[in-house]
Amino acid sequence: MGGNKRDDPAKLLAEIAQMLEDGLETQTEPFPETVQEFSKILDELRALDRDDIKGRLVIGGFVNHPYGPDGQRCQECIYYLVHRKWCDLPELSLPVEPEWWCRLWKI
Amino acid sequence: MANLLWLQGGACSGNTMSFLNAEEPSAVDLVTDFGINVLWHPSLGMELGDNLQKLLRACVSGEIALDIFAFEGTVVNAPDGTGDWNRFAGRPMKEWVRELANVAQFVVALGDCATWGGIPATAPNPTDSQGLQFLKRERGGFLGPDFTAKSGLPVINIPGCPAHPDWITQILVAVATGNAGEITLDEFQRPKTFFTSFTQTGCTRNMHFAYKVSAPEFGQRKGCLFYDLGCRGPMTHSPCNRILWNRQSSKTRAGMPCLGCTEPEFPFFDLEPGTVFKTQTVMGVPKDLPAGVDQAGYIKLTGAAKAAAPAWAEEDIFVV
Repeated sequence: MGGNKRDDPAKLLAEIAQMLEDGLETQTEPFPETVQEFSKILDELRALDRDDIKGRLVIGGFVNHPYGPDGQRCQECIYYLVHRKWCDLPELSLPVEPEWWCRLWKI
Repeated sequence: MANLLWLQGGACSGNTMSFLNAEEPSAVDLVTDFGINVLWHPSLGMELGDNLQKLLRACVSGEIALDIFAFEGTVVNAPDGTGDWNRFAGRPMKEWVRELANVAQFVVALGDCATWGGIPATAPNPTDSQGLQFLKRERGGFLGPDFTAKSGLPVINIPGCPAHPDWITQILVAVATGNAGEITLDEFQRPKTFFTSFTQTGCTRNMHFAYKVSAPEFGQRKGCLFYDLGCRGPMTHSPCNRILWNRQSSKTRAGMPCLGCTEPEFPFFDLEPGTVFKTQTVMGVPKDLPAGVDQAGYIKLTGAAKAAAPAWAEEDIFVV
């Protein structure tokens, strides 16, 4: 994906939604139970090219629906900016929908 | 006139530096306005060698009345309980501490090291350090759980790494001017006037705490430091955002997470790599929640707050 799409979050959000809708396989497991495990995933994300949106989705473990027995979703995640529909975790920095989820979910 | 003697055990001098920077009242005000006679202090005392030993012996014997014995730093017991790793004025410091505490009207522990051992007493505690009347959360310490000074009060604990300058001087003035009866202490013998509210009380980031907007990186002016950067403001008892540092700021106001340095467990998490400046979570939920909040309540509150958050909460409103 080209870096110019960063300037149009709505367009980028639509493309991400389409990738997830098309069945992009992402690493939803293992969920990082500790800070150390969380940090390892962040390290993987930092190693990606800054325009590698697909890589971020895969390593982040994104799905386009609530996840787990408690129905966790971006809406309640501490990194989610409700009004901008944006994940504010610096290593992700993506437009996301409130009903989505990823394994870096934190409340 | 109240005689004050200040000694330093296993310490970095941080509380001395803090004391010398006090403003309300200042160290000078203690002498000129509040009748405190500084018998000796590590940075202010004039006596050296034999003269210092004579002064200390005169205090122990009662020849010189010791009204306030202030102690900074840990009581060092190593090696093998002798205390020889911290000798002072011809003998282990711990022996002076015991004898001086027994004759003082008031004993005041200044800073984390003197109150509950602080960083030196953190495992594996190579100096076998103790606080005066606590070792971390465990009551007892060097003087024992039943110790009281001649006034009848236990050790007055003024924790912090370091303690705020004005916490130190205001308590010394209260004691020296006969107002010790107005000092009520909490379960850790901290003056309630300073240690009942939380570091979060008065924090400029409270609105971001309320609307669950995080500051995931240092240097951000928007966002709460509790969610990602390990801030302990919501569960630490201190007035750091009510009685500001240097009269104008605090850690959290400057973007630095509270480290919880006025609590007995400080430093938290045994300083393991990856645990400092990181909110500890279990399955995505903070391990340590704000005081008085349970996990179910926290999750419900987060959901409601996120749903109700206004757009401005996501912006850096400090930019003009």
